[in-house]
Amino acid sequence: MNEQEIVNAVIEKINVDINEQCGEIKGNSDMIFRLVLKAGEVLLHNGGEIFRVEQTMEIIAKHYGVVSIDVYAVSNGIFVTMSIDGNYFATQIKEVPIDSLHLGRVAEVNNLSRNIVAGKYSVEEAMEELKRIEKIPKASDWARVLFSGIGSAAFCYMLGGSIYDSLVSFIAGLFLYLFINFTEGRHFPKALKITIGASLVTFISILLHFLGMGDSLDQIIIGSIICLVPGVALTTSVRNFFNGDYLAGTISLVDTLLVATSISVGVSIMIRLWNYIL
Amino acid sequence: MLIQLVVAFIATISIALLFDVPKIEFFYCGLTGGIGWVVYLLVFEGIDSKVLATLAAALTVSFIARIFAVRRRLPVTIFLISGIFSLVPGAGIYYTTYFLLDNKFAEAFNKGVETISIAISISFGIMIVFFIPQKIFLLLNNMRKKDERKKWY
Repeated sequence: MNEQEIVNAVIEKINVDINEQCGEIKGNSDMIFRLVLKAGEVLLHNGGEIFRVEQTMEIIAKHYGVVSIDVYAVSNGIFVTMSIDGNYFATQIKEVPIDSLHLGRVAEVNNLSRNIVAGKYSVEEAMEELKRIEKIPKASDWARVLFSGIGSAAFCYMLGGSIYDSLVSFIAGLFLYLFINFTEGRHFPKALKITIGASLVTFISILLHFLGMGDSLDQIIIGSIICLVPGVALTTSVRNFFNGDYLAGTISLVDTLLVATSISVGVSIMIRLWNYIL
Repeated sequence: MLIQLVVAFIATISIALLFDVPKIEFFYCGLTGGIGWVVYLLVFEGIDSKVLATLAAALTVSFIARIFAVRRRLPVTIFLISGIFSLVPGAGIYYTTYFLLDNKFAEAFNKGVETISIAISISFGIMIVFFIPQKIFLLLNNMRKKDERKKWY
């Protein structure tokens, strides 16, 4: 046996191994790859946890017959490598901006992956469904404004404000989401949006307090900005650290600090401005 | 306390809407948040420690969230994020950065440590409940169904 024959034999052996390993590929390889990536992207973008993103992508890929898949997800990006058929390799890095949560979409993707595993969707159908999920609208503008007000009032009361404080918080909360709705669709930098939002809320709170409504300005402001503060992001960040996802944890932590600083800057600018003018 | 429960219920539902939770789940989210907040207040009254009270409330919220997740066949995040919102140290983060900007470093440090401790205790609470295997929650869910059958039929 000469060298060439040995090499051929080894290659044949490897091919046989690979063919034994991989199940039947159900559908177009490229389509499967894009479907899996898209599912992860929609999950991560709308507030799915890191482990859920990785798990869902692996489950979907395995169901469509992918032998090996490696996913590495962080808070704002997904890295995935797949080999399909033993000869189709693909790697993609996808940046996913940290954005507001949409848990309805997370629920739908979860449902979709369950249905895929139950065999109810072909690759093309799953892709269509995923595109539909991606376009599920947010709650209507007015509902968001109203519930921002109600939420602000409720949190103001829970954090120790009086009923009158809650009333002022309610009004300030309404204005907060009027502004947030206004920025949506326009390319507003996140930090700027939050700073201006916090300033606006503080201005309204101080004005109403000045006009004699509400008792404690501190309670009013803290209640009104509660919809902005990144408490969930901080908790997620610590959870990521505990899970060993140090990079994801660091990214969330930096995001938390940025948002928190923006809020404080907004509030403190407005308070100083008011004190300076009067 | 009943007023606090109702207010926390409403607050959690508002947050759930802002996070675009499906409307059918609002009641469950509100219940998770409301009960969590009442547990927090009760424990806080008892032992006067924000961190321990938060831990107890986080345990409760995560446990209820997992039960609802199994029962409603949805990701646990939906109930967990909305339910935990009333516990997360949003005010603490705000005060910390606010004191920093105001050059009050001692206060900022105190608030900062408290905030981080609360965040850690919440994460700890969630983690402990997540260690409970899924089977137990499935079992709890089945038990409930059997009870209902006895009751209704």
